[in-house]
Amino acid sequence: MKALALTLLIAVTGCANVAPYQRAHLARPDMAFESNLGVAKAMEKTFPAKEGASGGASVGGGGCGCN
Amino acid sequence: MRCILAALLFIPMLAVAVEAGQPAPAMDAPRLGEPGNLTLQSLRGKVVYVDFWASWCVPCRLSMPTLDGLHKRHADRGFAVVGVNKDATLGDAQRFLKRVPVSFLLARDDKDTVAKAFDVKAMPSGYLIDRKGKVRKVHRGFTAETAATLEQEVQDLLKEGA
Repeated sequence: MKALALTLLIAVTGCANVAPYQRAHLARPDMAFESNLGVAKAMEKTFPAKEGASGGASVGGGGCGCN
Repeated sequence: MRCILAALLFIPMLAVAVEAGQPAPAMDAPRLGEPGNLTLQSLRGKVVYVDFWASWCVPCRLSMPTLDGLHKRHADRGFAVVGVNKDATLGDAQRFLKRVPVSFLLARDDKDTVAKAFDVKAMPSGYLIDRKGKVRKVHRGFTAETAATLEQEVQDLLKEGA
């Protein structure tokens, strides 16, 4: 029972509801998945070339395979 | 135990959104850019549009100038707009206001008290309140269509008990 309560407590504090009017917090630069967008773009481009495979990441463009 | 789990699921639903027909919740918030507080009580007897806006809210770029026009056209007949800002920092709000200057009443809501009282479900959200303090219309989101209907709604409400 105690363990369950503890797990529950941790689980509950782990999530937060972000109300529509609180989205300013999500728009903060430090909330982005990538801290440096330029570097991330470069990695995204070189990674498939080095690995000999592409795909898996979200890619902009029409899918002509010419990147 | 199962009851507690079930109850936890419903916690986010406890706040009840303000809809048309309900009395407007009380509001007491510091004014933006000016000293003093702003209450809805002090505007009783007027037709009031409470609008929740933010600099990061894209449709607010359209709604703010529209509301400013409404305010300028109908202020002398007893219409007031209250813009409740939902930016995380005051600087963001001020930068937006420099680009989109407005002349209506503005309030800050750092502690989310006002937004929680109205249980705002979308940005922007606007609540049109009649002279008796009753919410008559809720606008969630803002398009050119909203601007047109709002003009008519304000005119209709102003005729009531004028």
